[in-house]
Amino acid sequence: MNIFSKTKDTDYTIIIGCGRLGANLANTLSENGTNVLIMDKYENSFRKLSSSYGGLTLVGDATDISALKEAGIEHAQVFVSVTNNDNANIMAAQIAKESYHIPHVVCRLYDPERECVYHEFGIETICPAVLSEKEISKLLGGSVYQLEAQRI
Amino acid sequence: MKTSVLLIGGFDMTKTLSASLIQKGYKVTAIHPDYEKCKQLAEIEGLHVINGDGTKPFILEEAGTAHAGIAIALTDNDDDNLVISELCKKKFGVKKTVCTIKNGENTAFFRKMGVDAVVCATNAISGIIEQQAFVDEMTTLIPIGEGRLSIAEIPISETAPAVGKKLWEINLPKEVIVGCILRQETNIIPRGDTRVLAGDVLILLSSTKQEITAVHALTGR
Repeated sequence: MNIFSKTKDTDYTIIIGCGRLGANLANTLSENGTNVLIMDKYENSFRKLSSSYGGLTLVGDATDISALKEAGIEHAQVFVSVTNNDNANIMAAQIAKESYHIPHVVCRLYDPERECVYHEFGIETICPAVLSEKEISKLLGGSVYQLEAQRI
Repeated sequence: MKTSVLLIGGFDMTKTLSASLIQKGYKVTAIHPDYEKCKQLAEIEGLHVINGDGTKPFILEEAGTAHAGIAIALTDNDDDNLVISELCKKKFGVKKTVCTIKNGENTAFFRKMGVDAVVCATNAISGIIEQQAFVDEMTTLIPIGEGRLSIAEIPISETAPAVGKKLWEINLPKEVIVGCILRQETNIIPRGDTRVLAGDVLILLSSTKQEITAVHALTGR
């Protein structure tokens, strides 16, 4: 493993929300050598990070522009907003995209209904319900297909 | 046809606003997530109340957002207000969106995102509190342009340092002008060489935070 191969500023990732998804993502990225900063409203949330996590943590509200500046948002290449609040995710993602022109902005939305509005902003949205639905129907679709195949 | 106005979130503000708007002849619909509060709102005559989360598109649809002329987002969270305004504008084509925010720093960003009017309640209220608490000399103060500019009425007492001085002799901050002097029954539009007399009431036009310095220069307090 080459520790020095990664350049300083070219792969700076900011993750908003240190829940299960945020913490896992931060652990994985940090393990792969990416510069990661994870931000959460509560200090306690950072306990979910693994002990080998080598990135930065910051306590702050992602809908507060000064907190995002403190996180060094102007240097970020990737911005992932995965708090448990849809509207906070949307706002943080929009600040990242529109005010700081970060190339990759990903935002999790629990409610798929709002998705259509945010697609046009160039924000990539991920909706757990839609993803699960696709997976489940894939599983079910597969078994139904098999049953039909057997009948024939 | 009556313009319909949509008020989303915010209980006390919705109460006062809706009463005043209905009186002015608008068709008003309020959306609030709390059922008990909705019941209280429903007691206002002529107010159409919808119970639900205004950041959800189907609730907005139920409230007839597509036919609304003005949407006003009054919830406690800046992010909710942003989403409400954007949904109203982009999904339902509401012409004018108004938004209250807590964090004044966000004003420019909200504007950029297409919200037509952004009111920072925290800044406006703290500005008023400051003026009320520290400047007793001002009898009336009207904030304009979201509180960036204000018109103040300042009575000049006999002991004030400005008495007997010409306007150009008084050391006023740059962003303050004396627009008018009310002297007994007459109004004077002053020039630099107009003298200030005891008993005058000066009408001051000033940018925010400058009026306190100006009042100090004029009245000595």
